[in-house]
Amino acid sequence: MATLKVSNLTKNFGSTLVLKQINLDVSDGEFIVLLGPSGCGKSTLLNIIAGLESVDEGEILIDDYVVNRVEPKDRNIAMVFQSYALYPAMTVRDNVIFGLKQRKVSKEQIEKSLQHFSKMLQIDQLLDRKPAQLSGGQRQRVAMGRALVREPHIFLFDEPLSNLDAKLRVEMRHEINKLHEQLGTTMIYVTHDQVEAMSLATRIAVMNEGIIQQIGTPQKIYDQPNSVFVADFIGSPAINLIQGTVSKDGAALSFIPDQQKDGDKIPLSGYSFETEPGEGQKIIFGFRPEHIRLPDTSLKSQMQVELKPILIELTGYEKEITFEFHGNEITGRLPRHVDAELGKSITFSLDLSEISIFDSASTMRI
Amino acid sequence: MPAADPQQMEAVERSSARKRTFFRWLLFLLLGLFAIYYLAPMYVMIVTSLKTMEEIRQGNLMTLPNEIMFDSWKTAWSGRGYAAGDVFLRPFFWNSIKMVVPAVFISTFLGALNGYALTKWRFKGDNLIFLMFLFGCFIPYQAILLPMARTLGILGIANSITGLVVVHTVYGLSFTTMFFRNYYISIPDEMIKAARIDGAGFFKIFFKVLLPISAPIIVVTVIWQFTGIWNDFLFGSSFSFGEAAPIQVALNNMVLTSTSVKEYNVDMAAAFIAGIPTLLVYVFAGKYFIRGLTAGSVKG
Repeated sequence: MATLKVSNLTKNFGSTLVLKQINLDVSDGEFIVLLGPSGCGKSTLLNIIAGLESVDEGEILIDDYVVNRVEPKDRNIAMVFQSYALYPAMTVRDNVIFGLKQRKVSKEQIEKSLQHFSKMLQIDQLLDRKPAQLSGGQRQRVAMGRALVREPHIFLFDEPLSNLDAKLRVEMRHEINKLHEQLGTTMIYVTHDQVEAMSLATRIAVMNEGIIQQIGTPQKIYDQPNSVFVADFIGSPAINLIQGTVSKDGAALSFIPDQQKDGDKIPLSGYSFETEPGEGQKIIFGFRPEHIRLPDTSLKSQMQVELKPILIELTGYEKEITFEFHGNEITGRLPRHVDAELGKSITFSLDLSEISIFDSASTMRI
Repeated sequence: MPAADPQQMEAVERSSARKRTFFRWLLFLLLGLFAIYYLAPMYVMIVTSLKTMEEIRQGNLMTLPNEIMFDSWKTAWSGRGYAAGDVFLRPFFWNSIKMVVPAVFISTFLGALNGYALTKWRFKGDNLIFLMFLFGCFIPYQAILLPMARTLGILGIANSITGLVVVHTVYGLSFTTMFFRNYYISIPDEMIKAARIDGAGFFKIFFKVLLPISAPIIVVTVIWQFTGIWNDFLFGSSFSFGEAAPIQVALNNMVLTSTSVKEYNVDMAAAFIAGIPTLLVYVFAGKYFIRGLTAGSVKG
């Protein structure tokens, strides 16, 4: 059983406010990913949860117990760092059991945990080596072993995969995922890599400038971003965002792009507004690259568009095609068999069932 | 690029190869000259110390001795056996050892502790304190002579080895702190964070995690402190006299107080003896220094 609650947390370094009124509720067994660009405060938040940084305002509760003034070692947490942070002078064995020795755990118990977890992480052959003799992936396993033997209530990960090469990163990601399945321990994971976030999290908290912009399941964050920032930050290639105005024709709403040439209107009837916009309101119309599709009449809400490719990139499995669209460059993600030529118009269906609409002024979803 | 003419290319290649060899030899020549320039005094010291006085009086400074005589070394180290007025180095050599070992150990240890606290346990005003340490590096020896003499007097350790240990420790702290601070600042803070989560406290982290990886900077600091303290003459001559003097002061007394004939061979032997420990420190510790620098780093 391990829950975490962060309430009204504020933190500043000197005169710079790094965290503003953070609220976060984590229930037992969740895998929360704190995602954001560098400097958004995500690592600071993690350090505060760990007890490595002090709290200026607000409270941190672990298992409903306020831990603001509790030492890191007594918080029942373990942390894995980006630079692995192994102790260079100690062997792998001593690195892993260092924490248990500090706690004065019995020798037999230490040996038992060491055997169990080193087998699990496949580092049992490396126990007598020094960190300098290990590869990056092995070091990361040892760092995880050191966290695991403490059998903590909450795992904290601070960009643990950022120093690994692409292939190893995917491998270790799978292992962290399996580990979570296996142990069911609550995990908080900081990253700036959206693929890691999407594939690991039960819920993602997108952070920017010291604020949690949105928190929700990966699906929800991807499909219904609550602000232009979240929409733009998640997804690769990035979401297409087009500035324009709302036009009201009786009850039917439609979108007129700012630089449209031929009186095109995009119907917004398929979109459920939280607050309906007024006539002439400035909005941002967003759709993901995969919403440009080959003509398909079975889609429940769609619109035919004529698009001219200005750049075609084959990614292997797909083609990423850049089009000119009412003065904007937009990206489409299309099957590789699509017959595209530079400058030659093609007819597509623009899927309108999963679009996002934001207010221009507030940049929030409406 | 113009089309390459193979013959021309070959000529260019040959001439650049010739140029390279020429400059290589010029470099060796220059380095050789500098080496001779630096080693010549030591050579003169050694050959002179091995000669007899008669041979020295003939005035051939650079020639090898006719017969190798270690008598002057023996005289310099343990004297001639007179009852009074016989100055020789042995007791003062041990004085210096008794001074330099604790002073180097204490100042290095405290410097490491200061550097650790200043980088890994940041507190308000830590940079100001470091700045003051740095300022300490620039205070000239002469400026602290009088206040230090007074302080030693009040503490009751004037004219004693203990007094000199205190002086050198205090004066060396600025340097040792700076060395360790600059070394520890390059060690990732995450390592300390990990140890804190593992439950280690201030001193446990210092002794178990940080000190074992500090070998390179410890060696640098020890070399610096040992050389400085061993070779110091000013503090030694200001704060001690007679029996409590370190070797450099004794060497000075020995060379300047000879009453009858000036014995250059004994003087040279004595000067060489006074320089041997620093030489040994460089020879042995220097090797570890290079080793420490090239050992596996923290990150991959």
